[in-house]
Amino acid sequence: MKTIKESARETKVCREADVVVVGGGPGGIGAAVSAARNGADTVLIERYGHLGGMGTGGLVTIIPLLTDIFGKQQIVGITQEWIDRLDAREAVDYPKKEHWGSLDKELVRYYFERSFFYTRLDRVIYAAIIDAEISKVILNDMVEEAGVKTYLHSWGTEPIMGGSECKGVIFESKSGRQAVLGKVVIDATGDGDLLPYAGIEFKDNIPPNFRIANLALCFWVDGVDIEKADDFRKNNPEKFGELARKCVEVGGFPGYFRSLLKNQESIVWCHNRYPNKSQIDVEELTRVEFEGRKKMMITYDFWKKNLPGFEKSFIVLSCPQLGTRSSRRMIGEYKLTQKDLADNQPFEDTIAIFPDLDRGQESLDHPLMYIPYRSLLPKNVDNLLVACRAFSSDEHVQEWFNLIPHCIAFGEAAGAASALALQAGVSPKKVDIKALQKQLAKQGVPLPDVTKKVDYKYDGPPLVSTSMFSLD
Amino acid sequence: MSAKTSVKTITEPARQIKVCREADVVVVGGGPGGIGSAIAAARSGAKTVLIERYGHLGGMASGGLVNIIPNLSDISGKQRIYGLTLELLNRLDKRGGASYPEKKDRGTADRKVVDYYLDANLGWFYVRQDYNTGKERVLYSAVVDPEILKDELNNMVLEAGVDLLLHSWGTRPIMEGNTAGGVFFESKSGRQALLGKVIIDATGDGDIFVGAGAEYDNECDNKRRTAWLALVFWMANVNIRKLDKFKAEQPEKFKELMQELAKLDGYPYFFKGILKNQENVIWYHCMQPQPQRTDAMDVEQLTKIDIRARKRALITYEFMKKHVPGFEKCFIMLTAPQLGTQGGRRITGEYTISEKDFETDEVFEDTIAVLANNDYHEISAKHPTLCIPYRCLVPKSVDGLLVAGRAFSSADTINESFNIIPHCIAYGQAAGTAAAMAAKAGIQPRKVDYKALQENLLKQGVGLPGVK
Repeated sequence: MKTIKESARETKVCREADVVVVGGGPGGIGAAVSAARNGADTVLIERYGHLGGMGTGGLVTIIPLLTDIFGKQQIVGITQEWIDRLDAREAVDYPKKEHWGSLDKELVRYYFERSFFYTRLDRVIYAAIIDAEISKVILNDMVEEAGVKTYLHSWGTEPIMGGSECKGVIFESKSGRQAVLGKVVIDATGDGDLLPYAGIEFKDNIPPNFRIANLALCFWVDGVDIEKADDFRKNNPEKFGELARKCVEVGGFPGYFRSLLKNQESIVWCHNRYPNKSQIDVEELTRVEFEGRKKMMITYDFWKKNLPGFEKSFIVLSCPQLGTRSSRRMIGEYKLTQKDLADNQPFEDTIAIFPDLDRGQESLDHPLMYIPYRSLLPKNVDNLLVACRAFSSDEHVQEWFNLIPHCIAFGEAAGAASALALQAGVSPKKVDIKALQKQLAKQGVPLPDVTKKVDYKYDGPPLVSTSMFSLD
Repeated sequence: MSAKTSVKTITEPARQIKVCREADVVVVGGGPGGIGSAIAAARSGAKTVLIERYGHLGGMASGGLVNIIPNLSDISGKQRIYGLTLELLNRLDKRGGASYPEKKDRGTADRKVVDYYLDANLGWFYVRQDYNTGKERVLYSAVVDPEILKDELNNMVLEAGVDLLLHSWGTRPIMEGNTAGGVFFESKSGRQALLGKVIIDATGDGDIFVGAGAEYDNECDNKRRTAWLALVFWMANVNIRKLDKFKAEQPEKFKELMQELAKLDGYPYFFKGILKNQENVIWYHCMQPQPQRTDAMDVEQLTKIDIRARKRALITYEFMKKHVPGFEKCFIMLTAPQLGTQGGRRITGEYTISEKDFETDEVFEDTIAVLANNDYHEISAKHPTLCIPYRCLVPKSVDGLLVAGRAFSSADTINESFNIIPHCIAYGQAAGTAAAMAAKAGIQPRKVDYKALQENLLKQGVGLPGVK
């Protein structure tokens, strides 16, 4: 391997903060808002010109899996705040609250037809479809109101290390290479971009048949006569099936989702999957970006020519951010593994509860996934937390629990923990867990009674839906 | 409670950086200048690497939603578009991805036709006043579909054999004394290096030549277009007929509403969508002033401007929806993935083109582009074209480096109207061709033979009328 020597240099420090959050996706927003609201001087660094990550720039405009099989909302906090703010602007859609958890067949059918994300395990669940553009503004408002100092168009690239302590971050922007010093650094890059430079161990193996092994290049098509399209689909299921097969044959994607947002009746979304060798290899990212655009055009041309209702359609946009699903996973103080997918006892340091809804009978037997604070803490480095899908997990846990609401929850906990640690003058590793849980509860985060021995057995009606759902 | 600013520095130790490619020509930035450069260099036989910060090519034309290729003819309607721009437009046209005034209408002053184009959509780009007659005439300008453009540009660079890295932010030149020999770039693969015999800075803002220690200028009169930033956004589901009817029947009321919107910090100006099937789309090219001249290169200001522009977009949307007939069911379809920057640093080159060059009509011995001059009223009437010399792309004080794009060596007065998409493609085409020639001959780009360069450009279909 050929290398070239880059000489030593002085890099300008532009800010000194308590907490530096790298990445403005769901994890970073949760972390920055939560840290700042808890009194920490907080800097947030984001590569693109907008916040929201996959939720906005990736056009993955879905916040799924918010209620458990009993209809209880388990992910609240900053996630719910985002949804409430969208609601005030009529920029979100979700199943009615009184229907969450319902097993009523008619209702389930109604919501299933409305969206693939609205039902799981024979039940109606709470999941929200969000407006990407309005979300960008709302997220700006949220960080601004919390007093976060935000750098957009800024690519946080490397941690500044002093031995095993993280002391800040270097970032690139139109202002050149600069540094932000911080007492705590939160890696919310999604890919754990800071981990290799900080010398933190990680894994990035993903079985090829997993959802998370795929990249996505989502796109939206407007100008669709959706009634016509629906009628055709309903009245000519065989013809539709044949067209779908043909579309695949020529290299396109046959499936689309309707936008359920107000006044967006003429828009459909195409979510897709692109197998790849690695989601953190720039060569692979480039290759998939090309392939994705080609396939997008093939799909669009095919739909427009062959599907009734698409005659006057046009591509509104392809996602500004390539859809990444998983890459590095830190090996932290506690690594969540397959065995935790069957254990119903909450951890003493639980900082979030995630409804487990995508694994059929196994989910019924294990309806709640508890997340320990330790899964955000690297083993061998201090003053650094991970608040994104790079949390400490094996590929099985990662497959189901690395989505938008999960990442916000990691962030909310990491941000609060950083602020509390700084107030107490201790390392984030030594933060008082009870105090952290108390604070999170105050922020509206549901947490379990960790002192109680759980004795759970599913006693509801047997599972009817046979098909295993995959997330997207 | 906001993190403290600092005057400290930290020391980054020396280190070894992985070299991921060695090429003849390395092009930094995949906007119009970079595309022109990379395609021309590769077609000229150079091993060429192109790196682009975003996941798509096209820069402002695609990601900035400034999907307008203007001034393709002079005021008489005579076509002044050549080379790669023409090729690109033809390819887009074949896929239904371009829209422009019909050939027979270009140059016409027929009021009916002029009004048709003025009203149709992005009228402003289709019509200019002829200073000699005082009448407005139809120009040749094209509006392109940004998504089809992205795909077509991918096709063009791949067919040319360019080695492309997307999601790669070129940050700093690798220098040996005064000579550039590569760039460092950041990506998800970490910091890596690209080595090249010639480096082309097509970043728009001259991000690379700054690090090379090249002289540059960023003075600009605050009144100029280039002193502004823009966040473009599109609104869909607008009933245009209803809007037009309202405007025709109650022009005063419409004006009043727009004044009220402006008072609320919204954007009162918009264009109708023009592309096929986009009849219900409205485009907002919303300009944002830069409080300071250097803001487009200052991340703190970029952040502020981005945040404010988004707020203004939302104010506009909510106001229009509530008050303006036709907008009842509208929604913001998208905001531009790239903030619209219109002018940044300008290299101090071997020759700096300025307003005095209008007067002389000089056909430089190293002319590499002949551009339509439509935006300077009386001057344009007298001097319908402007020649650009190769020396505007060659930094005075740095070797191994060419500048392609809006950072070409120019006074702000010239930069304002000649730093747009077709111009940048033309500068790129010349820079790429010259870079390939220099790499092949083992000479510095400034030593490239002007005549041979022009001959190569002519072979590529670059029209150089008047050049001997």
